[in-house]
This record gives sequence, C-alpha cells and structure tokens, in this order.
Amino acid sequence: MKRFLETGNFAITEGAILAGCRFFCGYPITPATELAEAMSTRLPQVGGVYLQGEDECAALHLCIGASLGGMKAMTATSGPGFILYADPYGWALGCEMPLVVVNSGRVGPVSGITGAPGQGEFYLTRYPTQGGNFECITLAPNSAQEAMAMVVEAFYLSERLRMPVTVLADQLITDGFEDISVPETESEMKEMGFRFWPREHHKGPDFYPTTDALDVPPVQMGHGTGAICSDWTPTEEGYDTEEVEAHHRHAYRLIYKVRNNRRLFQFQEKKFMDDDPDLVVVSYGTPARVVNTAVERAREKGLKVGALRLITLWPFPDELFSRQAKYLVVELNWDGQLVREVQRAASKDSKVHFLGVCGDLPTAVELNETFESILMNKPLTRKGWQLEVW
Amino acid sequence: MEYRSSALKDKYLRSRKIPSTACSGCGLGINHKIIVQAVDELGLRVDDVIWGTSIGCAGRQTFATWKGDGFAGTHGRVYAIARGLRMALPREKQIILTVGDGDAFGIGLLHLIHCARTNADMTVIVSDNLGYQSTGGQFGFTTPQGAKTDSSPYGMFEPNLMSQGIDVMDILKGAGATFLARHVSMDGLRAVESIKKAILNRGFSLIHMPYPCPTNFASRHLGSRNQVDIYRWMQSHSAPLGQEKADTIWATGVYRDISNSRPEFSELVWGSVEKIRRTGAL
Repeated sequence: MKRFLETGNFAITEGAILAGCRFFCGYPITPATELAEAMSTRLPQVGGVYLQGEDECAALHLCIGASLGGMKAMTATSGPGFILYADPYGWALGCEMPLVVVNSGRVGPVSGITGAPGQGEFYLTRYPTQGGNFECITLAPNSAQEAMAMVVEAFYLSERLRMPVTVLADQLITDGFEDISVPETESEMKEMGFRFWPREHHKGPDFYPTTDALDVPPVQMGHGTGAICSDWTPTEEGYDTEEVEAHHRHAYRLIYKVRNNRRLFQFQEKKFMDDDPDLVVVSYGTPARVVNTAVERAREKGLKVGALRLITLWPFPDELFSRQAKYLVVELNWDGQLVREVQRAASKDSKVHFLGVCGDLPTAVELNETFESILMNKPLTRKGWQLEVW
Repeated sequence: MEYRSSALKDKYLRSRKIPSTACSGCGLGINHKIIVQAVDELGLRVDDVIWGTSIGCAGRQTFATWKGDGFAGTHGRVYAIARGLRMALPREKQIILTVGDGDAFGIGLLHLIHCARTNADMTVIVSDNLGYQSTGGQFGFTTPQGAKTDSSPYGMFEPNLMSQGIDVMDILKGAGATFLARHVSMDGLRAVESIKKAILNRGFSLIHMPYPCPTNFASRHLGSRNQVDIYRWMQSHSAPLGQEKADTIWATGVYRDISNSRPEFSELVWGSVEKIRRTGAL
C-alpha cells in the first residue's frame, strides 16, 4: 500500500489504471482538467494512450472507438462538457459499449462558476441522452479514496452490464487534497473491496440479446466475427430495423439488465439508522461529510437523527425510503433534484424537507438548527430563502 | 467493365442487405460498386476491412452491407469513432467510411478536419446527393447555387462549401489531408483508381463522390424524376480537372496526393507511448 497526500483527480487516475483503463480522451475543463493531465502523464508509463478531443462530444466518441476496438476507455468532464456527451452516451447505451464517464460537478446553469462545487446533474446522469427506454448507473463518491474505489467499480460494472457507467463527483472531491492509499498487491486490492472484470470480445453472430443476462461480451471490431452495431434499433444480429417488436425487445434488455441486476451495486452509507430515527438526513457526495458531523452532534444532544448517504444514485434506491419518517434532503443546488426522488419514494405521510445551497457547503451549525426546527415543526429559512416542505 | 456486379456482391456484400432499399434510379449503388471494385482490385479480403457508416441515404443504405465487421455512428460522429477505433485496431486493418454530404461537410466537419489534422489512417468516401435527401430534400453544404429544394424554394442562395471560390477540398488540404479526390458516379474506372490510391495511403484519405438523386433532388430542381435527366445533368456539369468549362460544378480527379508523406496518427501515438514507457521521455 502506498500513501499519498493528493487530489481526487489523482485517486481516480490510479483507480482507472488499476481497473485496466488504457485509453483516455479528454477535453480541458475545470475542475476535471487535472484528471486529464494526470492521465496524460500516467497512461504512457503503463502503455496506454492519452488523447485530447476537439470537443467533449468527440472525446467520448473517441473513447467509443477505442472500446469498440477492445480497449477499456474513460473520459472526464464537468457539467458544460457532460451535456455534450448526450450524443455518444446514447450511442454507447444503445450499442451496449462499456465506458466510464467521470463528471465533476460545478456551479450551474451553463458555465456558471468554475471553481465551486455544485450538484446540478443528478437527473442529467439519469437521462444523459434522448429517447428514453434505458436505465443508467450513477455512482457518487464523497472522498478521494472512495472516488478511486468507485472508478474501479464503474469499470467492473460497465463490463458486466455492457454499458457506460457515470461516476458523479464534485469540485471538492476532484480538486481537494486528501490522504489516499493506493493498493499495490492483489490481496490489498481485495481487502479494499476492488472488483475487476476483463474485456472479452463477442464471438457472434447474435450481438444483441433480448434478456437481462449479465456478462455478454461487447461487440468488437477487428476479430472477423462479422460484428455489426449501429445507432439504429438492432435485430439480435445487429441489423438496423424499423420493427416495433424488435425495439420492444431491445428496450427490455437496456432497462432490465440494470433493474434486475441491482443487487450487484447497491451502495449506501447509513449512520445512526438502527433505531428508526425521527429525522433522516439524505445526501450524496461532499455535503454528506458535513451532514455526518451535524448528525453526530445532534445525537450528542439526544436528538433521534440519522444520516443516509446514497452512493448508488441510479437506479434510485426507492426501498430505503419505505419507512414513515421526516426526511431532510441536503443538496448543492437551490432548485432541488434529489429531493424530488425522495419525495416520490418516501412512504405516505412522510414529510420531505429540502435544504439547498450551491457553490458552498452548508455548515454543521446551520444543519443542526435545521434539524431542531424540523423536529419541533418550526418554519425553516436559510439565507433569506423560505425552505419548502415537499 | 470486366467485373460483374453479382460476383463482387457475392464476395463482399451481405445478401440480406443487397439490393438495398434505395430509390429506383439512385446513383448510390454505382458509388458503392466502385468502392467494392477498388477493394477487390487491391486484393483485400472481407476481414481486412472495417466498414463504418453514418446516417442519411449514403450512410444507412450502406450500413451492414459489408460482409465483415461494421459500425454506424450518429449524425457526423463516425469520424471521431473511427479515430478512436484506429488506435485500438491492428495496424493492417483498413477503415473505410461511407458517409453523406450533410454528415461530412455539415454536422461532422469539425471531426473530419481533426481526422485530417492527425492523419489518422482511414478512407472516407463522401457520397454526395447534393443535399439532405433522406429527410425529403433540403439544401446542404454542397448543393449547387440556384438549386431549388424543399428548403430553398426560390433557389439556393446561401454561400456554401462549393460556391464563391470556396471549396471544401481546400479546407481539408489546409487541415493536412494526405489524399483527396473528387469524382461523380459516372467517372467509373477513374474513380476506382482514385479509391485504390486512397486506400493505399497510410493516412487520411477522402473522396468526394457526388451522385444522382432522381427522387428528391432532381424532381424539385429539374422537375423530372426520370433518372436519365439527372444523370445527364450531372455529367454535363462535371469535367476532369484542367478541362473545366464555364458551367462546370464538379471538377473531377485527384486534388492532392501526398500519400505516406506524413506520420500516420496511430503509429505516431503508439510509437511515442512505447518510447515514454521504455525511457520515461520522448
């Protein structure tokens, strides 16, 4: 095990290399630039390729090409670049091409503020492209160390489920310096829970199964199997078709290979959740670190408050909200995104509150005041905003 | 021609996809045959070529026609996919892309320029039906000036990439393309020879091949769906380079051949990676 005082970008780079990533195509954007820079240094050292696309859309398409040729590939960006992935992300979903995409959230909308954290792409990672008829996987770490683990996991899942997987971080995780341990031996990797899956190429001729089966190797060019894949609705052999029945089978595959295999990747962190707390504080990513502190303080005061941190954001873990309780959702945006899903999933008669802030973190003091107000049914305000009850 | 179409078809193309669903009289099949004949004359086998396509008439009609491996990209993106694929494929494999004019010179032009810049080894054949015909017949970026289309009902007056002294070939030349040619479908064996040179170039090659569209282009612009009319019209407006007349729209022949004069992209990158891996520096 080697220890470093380094950034999340460094941790993600090392995780990707451990997972077998040998192709990275990026495009400079704050706060993901250092990830591209780290890749440009590290990949050639391990016999891998770093390229720079003419834009983010091209960058992910180049990754698709590399993956189509059998290489494990990754790209990274922030919100304004992620939106340009819409086209290749859809292609990779439809053609079932393994890829890993890292999004380091900053303040939006549009270019917003480059050097401050935001969580404005919660829904965008669920619907990264047009057309529907698919499920997506999004993993959200809350530290540099966990970012490394989630990137390794993203590569593992992308191979087994044959699809792109998004790692959703934020500016504080990717740019912040932390104590990072990089495993060096297989037993260390096992100890850290790292899982790996090799790339295998499809033998043909049926490239597009219609079931939820795991571990179907992806289509690959260059092996003379007569592999074909396209952006059109495919027949099982990969031919383009206008038949609605074929589309139905394809959509079933894209949706249920994820839904029916959720047991593989349900990650969340629970704190003080064993005694059915009156108030459950829900968050993901960096704000969860402040939430944890605030919940500890609340417990010291004897308040029955628990913390639920989501790591797997999509598919959304509805079952975690089946108990009737008060929920407070803390997010790095003012409009409320995660809160909408919690409200939808929460059992009847639960009350769902929202505390949003963007470009900044809430303080533990503010959070503790909010917990008390909610538990005493008092109205909530913050920075002049009347906080809504959903 | 000594080549019979059926022999070429049996050797290289999938019976499921040929004949295609292209309109009666469409010139795309001629372009397609010219490409396959060039491949055959070079002695390439099915496994030697990875065939990529785009969308629109030229892309979708050629998708999965090749017996070997093939892929299609969304609008304008197949060049970027091919550039990434080039990095992962064994060096001896050929990439051939059959795409349309809107795809290459409209939505995909940026990606195309960067393929030329990097001299990534691929042969791009732009089958140009003079506009967006699969969507019903709107003008594109090589539609002849004055042409009436569904979206230029008064005649095409917007400057494009083949008007006012602008030529998309100059853009690609400036970007570093190492082989460029233009042929109309009726050029026959001259086009076959150019495509052979394009494939033999270990770098970025592009052949611009305008072809007749009797259905949407000709019916609107010439007022006739009779295929003979559009074939004659295109032939009368094309001439070999150096023999252009006042009304020549398409000057045909090789625009640039500096084959194998620049480092090929994937060789350059892999060579650099290998050197860095061994010595830690370039």
